[in-house]
Amino acid sequence: MMFLKRLRGRLIDLAFVIVGVSVLVFAFIRMIPGDAVAIMLGANAEVTPERIAAVRTRLGLDLPIHEQYVVWVSDVLRGDFGVSIWTGKPVIDEIAAHVWPTLQLTLLALATAVILAIPLGILMARLRGRRGEAFVQAGSVVGLTIPPFWLGIIMILTLSAIAPGVQMLGYVPFSQDPLGNIARLILPAFALSLPIMANLARLLRSTLLEAMQQDYIRTARAKGVPARRVLYRHALRNALIPFVTSVGIMAGYLLGGAIVIEQVFAIPGLGRLILGAIAERNYPLIQATILLVTCSFVFVNFAVDVVYAIIDPRISE
Amino acid sequence: MDRLRKSFIASGTALALTLSLGAQAAPLEVAVDSSPSGLDPHIVTAFSSFQIIDGTIYEGLTALDADLAIVPGLASAWEISEDKTTYTFTLREGVAFHGGGTMTSADVAASLNRVLDEDTGSPLASRLAAVEAIETPDDSTVVIRLKAPSAPLLSSLTTIAIVPAKYAEDTETLQRAPDGTGAFRFVEWQPNVAIRLEANDSYWQDGLPKLEGVNFNIVPEAATRQVGLTSGQYHMLPNTDAVTALQLQSQPNVKLQDTLELAYSLTGLNVTRPPLDNPKVREALNYAINRDDLVQAALFGAGVPGGPLSPALTGFALPTEELACFSSDPEKAKALLAEAGVETPIELELLVLPRDDTKAMAQVIQQQLAAIGVNLTLDIPEIGQFVQDWRNSEFDMFVSLNSGTIEPDDYFYRTFRTGGSTNVFKYSNPALDALLDAGREETDVDGRREIYAQVQSALACDGPALFLAYGQLYTAMRTSVEGYEIYPNRSLGSLKSVTLDN
Repeated sequence: MMFLKRLRGRLIDLAFVIVGVSVLVFAFIRMIPGDAVAIMLGANAEVTPERIAAVRTRLGLDLPIHEQYVVWVSDVLRGDFGVSIWTGKPVIDEIAAHVWPTLQLTLLALATAVILAIPLGILMARLRGRRGEAFVQAGSVVGLTIPPFWLGIIMILTLSAIAPGVQMLGYVPFSQDPLGNIARLILPAFALSLPIMANLARLLRSTLLEAMQQDYIRTARAKGVPARRVLYRHALRNALIPFVTSVGIMAGYLLGGAIVIEQVFAIPGLGRLILGAIAERNYPLIQATILLVTCSFVFVNFAVDVVYAIIDPRISE
Repeated sequence: MDRLRKSFIASGTALALTLSLGAQAAPLEVAVDSSPSGLDPHIVTAFSSFQIIDGTIYEGLTALDADLAIVPGLASAWEISEDKTTYTFTLREGVAFHGGGTMTSADVAASLNRVLDEDTGSPLASRLAAVEAIETPDDSTVVIRLKAPSAPLLSSLTTIAIVPAKYAEDTETLQRAPDGTGAFRFVEWQPNVAIRLEANDSYWQDGLPKLEGVNFNIVPEAATRQVGLTSGQYHMLPNTDAVTALQLQSQPNVKLQDTLELAYSLTGLNVTRPPLDNPKVREALNYAINRDDLVQAALFGAGVPGGPLSPALTGFALPTEELACFSSDPEKAKALLAEAGVETPIELELLVLPRDDTKAMAQVIQQQLAAIGVNLTLDIPEIGQFVQDWRNSEFDMFVSLNSGTIEPDDYFYRTFRTGGSTNVFKYSNPALDALLDAGREETDVDGRREIYAQVQSALACDGPALFLAYGQLYTAMRTSVEGYEIYPNRSLGSLKSVTLDN
């Protein structure tokens, strides 16, 4: 009962967040100086003011901003996200064309981070107080602080020096060339996963060490359970609860990193779409893309809450 | 730890397995740094648009070769009347538009009128200012009658693309889906990703184009473009700067071509804002700048200090030695400021075009002017903001790049004549205006040379711009690319003769 009540409360929060974001996005992108029309018509002083006015009217930019917002929201609620100012294609189609590379990249980065963070976290916990601890700790701080885009640039420069023939830029659909697809995504996914991997490994280390101090562990040890088994069966299980929560939160941040990584590796994903749309003040496209990204972020967090409630018996009582 | 090592080995193997050494057939993969701002040949002004459409998708009545000589384009021949006011063009037979239909004189007339039509808002309109009437006696003849002789006409016509007559009133479709007569046909534009062109099978020149197609990949990150070229993923980085070129020079499988730019870098001065309204102050700024140092520091020596005209226009450009204020002399600069009654330090803002070379120049200029007590604050906005401020003359000073052509009139008329369409300096000088008008009507070569020498002298020292430099322009390409010729005006028109040897 308690659980359902909480769920309802979270859903209401969710709705507020999404509405708030839609207002903010709408207002912010119109605060960027230089409007779509000026950029569309280029650095060209021979354009008559009448023509600029006509284009503004056609794009609906002549209405007061709150009216523009109302028009947009009522269209969105009917499932109409508008058309791209530049290509005249529906915004939904543009997003659909760009969503796969980003989805693949972020999922691959997340998987890489999780798969490598667990053994690293355990290793760091086991090294506690031994030689080598400082080394591993330092490594994790480096991983945490290296900007993924810088790492990406270093990676492609290094690889091109070592193996000049390897083609590692861009994107090939998996269905077309599975190997080429994976090969092109490995480097950017790794660069993207590094800070998250370090973050998760450090978290796992501290929760593991904390778990090892608990009474039930002492009990298990006293009963003569082998040390390894104590670690993996008892301590790790409990330590994974906060770990899972963090994975969910990190998944949202991956999208932000992906925007920059896509520039470096020339991947035609949502990041390129958003940056390009901002550069050309393509309002309908920016609004729809950012709304989509926000909704996925919020939704992932919501899902984490639910999962957390399910796996932690203290919450789902 | 073992698991870690294993996964690295696994990923390395996967990479090695997909090691493909560019063994695919054409198209030619070109990497460009920014998305074009539309593809309508009568509307766009940016280099990013021009290099994609000029000579590839679109053609004009006349054309330029790589040495900048005027050669026949869609007109196979022309005759000029005795009084230089009537031009009769004979059109090529059998030229088809990509979207279907044969090109006739009606399309040519419609294209020229579209440029002249105020509703189009074409930046090229001033190039046809002398046109009085356009007649089409038959399908393959176009007669252009002028109000007065116009020396730049044939050169101007190289820049005016011929499009189907049906677009006369339509200023939107061609921005997204160009339709011309060139060797390559537009296929698709994936915004911020790529623009794809394919060979035009019914191109009028036999045996051309030789490529199956051209893909313009939009790759904003410089390191990514370079790696893409060295790894063979891209075949060409056109119209790139000296820094990139120098970094690629030592790479195997990469070759460079270079030429002197027609475009020039300049520092523009808003002459409505004190103290820049005072000619003596403008002259002082000229003396304060050391252009040789600027070329060394900002262009890595790959360029020449330049005056109002590119040295590539050998028939017209005055050597900079003949322009007094081009020798750096900070003491004289200070004396001129004192003479003008200006109190130093002067605080001004410098608006900077967001490109690597112009940013570097801005820093050098900031340092050089500080030495005479002119303190600059740099404002480096993103491109959209720059364009808006520039267009509205919202600046004290700016650093930017202006394009050039083979015609001196194109350098000066729009930019420096009173009320000129790109005269963002708000400069007005009646004596200069008279010279510029005379330069258009004078058709005798020696007469024009004399007029434009006077124009250069008038602009060089106390005009509204500090002319800085003409850079060396490079194209970096794979050694498998044959038949490319770099054009000083950044046109990629020679792509139709290019072959890719795999």
